Amino acid sequence: MKKVLALTLAGLMAASLAACGGSSGGAATDGGASGGSSSGELQVNIWDNNQLAGLQQIADEWSAESGVKVKINVVDWDNYWTLLEAGASGGEMPDVFWMHSNTAQMYMENDLLLNLDDYIANDDTVDMSKFYEGVVDLYNRDDNGSQYALPKDHDTIALLYNKAIFDKYGVDYPTDDWTWEDVRDAAAKITEAGKADEVYGYAINTSNNQDGWYNIIYDYGAQVITDDHKGTTIGSEQGKAGMEMMRQILEVAAPQTVVAETGTDSLFNSGKVGMITQGSWMINTFYTNENHDNYAWAMLPYADVNGNGQCDKGERYSAYNGLGWAAAASTKNPDACYSLISYFCSEKAQKEQAQLGVTMGGMKGVSEDFANAFEGMDVSAFTRIEEEGDLFFRPYTRNTTVWEDALQQNGAFLDAWLDPSNPDTMAKACENAQKIIEDAIAAE
Amino acid sequence: MKQKMTAAEKREATWGYAFVFPTMLGLIVLNFYPFFNTIYQSFCKTGDFGKGNIFVGLANYQQVITRGETWQSLWNTIKYAIIEVPLGIVIALLLAVLLNKKIAGRSVYRTIFFLPMVCAPAAVAMVWKWLYNTQFGLLNNIFHTKVAWISDPKIAWISIGIIGVWSIIGYNMVLFIGGLQEIPGDYYEAASIDGATGVRAFFNITLPLLSPTTFFIVQTRIIGALTIFDLMFMVMDKTNVALPKVQSIVYLFYQYAFTNGNKGYGATLVMVLVIFIMIITYILQRAEKHLVYHA
Repeated sequence: MKKVLALTLAGLMAASLAACGGSSGGAATDGGASGGSSSGELQVNIWDNNQLAGLQQIADEWSAESGVKVKINVVDWDNYWTLLEAGASGGEMPDVFWMHSNTAQMYMENDLLLNLDDYIANDDTVDMSKFYEGVVDLYNRDDNGSQYALPKDHDTIALLYNKAIFDKYGVDYPTDDWTWEDVRDAAAKITEAGKADEVYGYAINTSNNQDGWYNIIYDYGAQVITDDHKGTTIGSEQGKAGMEMMRQILEVAAPQTVVAETGTDSLFNSGKVGMITQGSWMINTFYTNENHDNYAWAMLPYADVNGNGQCDKGERYSAYNGLGWAAAASTKNPDACYSLISYFCSEKAQKEQAQLGVTMGGMKGVSEDFANAFEGMDVSAFTRIEEEGDLFFRPYTRNTTVWEDALQQNGAFLDAWLDPSNPDTMAKACENAQKIIEDAIAAE
Repeated sequence: MKQKMTAAEKREATWGYAFVFPTMLGLIVLNFYPFFNTIYQSFCKTGDFGKGNIFVGLANYQQVITRGETWQSLWNTIKYAIIEVPLGIVIALLLAVLLNKKIAGRSVYRTIFFLPMVCAPAAVAMVWKWLYNTQFGLLNNIFHTKVAWISDPKIAWISIGIIGVWSIIGYNMVLFIGGLQEIPGDYYEAASIDGATGVRAFFNITLPLLSPTTFFIVQTRIIGALTIFDLMFMVMDKTNVALPKVQSIVYLFYQYAFTNGNKGYGATLVMVLVIFIMIITYILQRAEKHLVYHA
């Protein structure tokens, strides 16, 4: 008996040793390559698995031309930044990677990104005026005017609704002519009629900012962050008017405790919510859902501020944001890095990116194909709002997360979300938000 | 007076140092350096990417101490420890005593109770998050209730504590079983001749003789509970209304150091926790003499 046991244990140990050897060997080769290999392969980091297949396809085309291989690694959003920051501090960054408005200023100011000025100047294929200005500006450093990333894509917001729920409770589908009042009235009908089934007309959490309440604030003429990135008008009369509209919708929407526990996307995909607003980067999540035949997109509603019964300029806003393709300043192969970035941002690759349904382009006028990329689901609401509405760039400052998180919690809009029947709570939350943002900017 | 070492002793000492060198190196690089760096950072307004730290003296400490959220979080952490440590120990002890008897399927039960220890904490938290869900959760479904287990500030801290107890029972139990097996059977035989069995034997023999194990578990679990982070982080959304009443001090540290990128302030929060744990440990060490029965 003992002998058998000893043998088994010895066998197990040998097996585990072998396993250790195998995995550490693998890790060693990975580690060597991620430090920017001189053997030719470029390491590319992204955080969205939905985009991997399409981007790898485009990168492979570049490899065929340049002879340099590209390996794209997907790291989830939270770990992406932890890893990149650790890599930046320790000098081991991937060669090419995505940049985002939350952190771009910090990385540029610390000279961690490759300065692209000379490359762009010598590259006939890149015309900076063709890209979305907001995205170009974002990756342009304030103090020296240098460009550190090229716009990869842009995203917009639209209204998503579940036709089955509208049919069941006999409410008309949302249209492109809807105002936020129409959303409120439809949500009220569904929530009232759906009480027994625990179905709500609308769902939004305090964390649905870019894809939610930011847009209403701009519709009513206020700005979360002013154009110079040094202030806010969220506590102004216009800002309060916008959030008052939000409050009236909240009164007939799913309670905050419900959306905080289950999440608006899960609620919608479970058939518990009639309408939500969402960004174009989320389309795939809904498109791959088994009930996606019931889902449809409409343009974001507008605010009829001047009361003339139609949507005028400045009354329908969608937030937009854009990722940038950046390279590490420490890369061993800067020429190849720029060549890859330039290829990703060329008109051909940008069109391909839209056709494959990866994202809409960072270049203007290349995204019509994106509307047709999802067979059986019309996503033209995302591209139409660029023609029929206005875009504002996702509000950011040097250290966005500080105030962005604070706005979602107690002492700011969470108070109003928990107490939607009281207009004073919302007005107070706007004033608090004004102070939070101003204090955060002062501390930057 | 120290004697001069002989050549043989010197050789032995050299080899001794050579053998502890890898461990020392690991400790210095992975423990001591970060520890002292954290102390240093707590006195700094830290720059991005570890560059450009500005010495600001006690400014961080002043902010940490005057903000209510620090003390609320410390209190939340203590509340969590108050649930996890005693319940985790009492239940584990009872199970250990039961599973130390010769009952059928003993090793199966031991394995089952130890399983939570093997699961990834993140996976455990995700499962509990859905069990507790107000709308779709299994708990509310079984009991036909509508309790907001993790959104009601009054009970959310208890719900989180229960997950902690569930996760730790198996580990404590294994340690207790180890302790129980060291108690010689003679004592129980002698006691049964004198007429002390069952509950009496448990309180008069098992508990005192197990006290070194119990003390070890109490001490390590208190420190473990005071550094809790993953449960709150995984189970509660950052827009959860109960979060301020549940978030632990390490959660607050994570929020400041990593989400907001303010490493100096985060380091200061950690220093407050370190000092608190040092005080608790000191008290426990002093109390050991009176609490632990050394046979």
